Amino acid sequence: MRSERFLALVAAYGADARRWPEAERAAAEAFALARPDAAGPALAEAGAADALLHASRTPRPSMALRDRVIASAAGAGLKARRHGRVWLDRLALTLGAGWAAAACAGIVAGVMMTSYLTADAQADAVLYQASLLGVDDAEVLG
Amino acid sequence: MALIADPDEELVRRVGQGDPAAIQAMVARKLPRMLALAQRMLGDAVEAEDVAQDAMLRAWKQAPRWKPGQAKFDTWLHRVGLNLCYDRLRRRREVVTSTPPDRPDTGPAPDRGLLAADVGARVDAALAGLPDRQREAMVLCHYQELTNIEAAALMEVSVDALESLLSRGRRALRQALADIRPGAEGA
Repeated sequence: MRSERFLALVAAYGADARRWPEAERAAAEAFALARPDAAGPALAEAGAADALLHASRTPRPSMALRDRVIASAAGAGLKARRHGRVWLDRLALTLGAGWAAAACAGIVAGVMMTSYLTADAQADAVLYQASLLGVDDAEVLG
Repeated sequence: MALIADPDEELVRRVGQGDPAAIQAMVARKLPRMLALAQRMLGDAVEAEDVAQDAMLRAWKQAPRWKPGQAKFDTWLHRVGLNLCYDRLRRRREVVTSTPPDRPDTGPAPDRGLLAADVGARVDAALAGLPDRQREAMVLCHYQELTNIEAAALMEVSVDALESLLSRGRRALRQALADIRPGAEGA
């Protein structure tokens, strides 16, 4: 690399070799090592400018801004399609239907059982009341 | 045309499918970059937030139809952010005022030493005082850490022209900040 090109490189990109164009980085680093008399002052001056540039504070997004931006994704039509959860949804639906069917069966059984028990109780009551009359069935029936 | 390797490709694809975790990851990855770009291009925190939010909204709209391999998503997003910044800079110039706008005081504080925060403010003010294209070149290459080829493509100039803008920008900043002694920025 020629001295003019090295100086132009440092004047544009600064002293940090990581910012130098990738295609020229190795040659520029070799020049800096081989020609410290030419490279040194330019690197020192550019390094001081780099340090000043780094003093600029980088803003950080506030939580409010972050929340607004995330909320704006839904407004822009980005909605989760949840391909991977279809089977889970179907399972939940099946289980839900099963629970509903079991509940219905329980209600029907309960109503039937109640009717059956009520009929038994009524029969017992009739027999009991009949016995209280003290009339012998044989007398009545002959 | 050779396909361009894009570190954001998978994330953009998931964002396009509406994956909530990917949307959060994209915000974490890109919102600070858009905010920093706009803040340094415009020198105004409120306007910078508006630009960053608008740029991210455009990213949401673009993600479902993004075609990988043609460009880096980050470069595309920077193009969007820069356009939004230039819209605002143009509007500022079009505003007719009877009195000249307030200019930030770029001189040293007379009655106190320079603390790190002061140096940072001085640098920001000096950056704001650069011509737009020099500031754009400085912001893209130095702060946003784009490669010279990416920055030149974004600015639609040759790499030689970009280097000229960078050299002039750095020289102007050194002159504007000449009174700050080396090392004061870390005080």
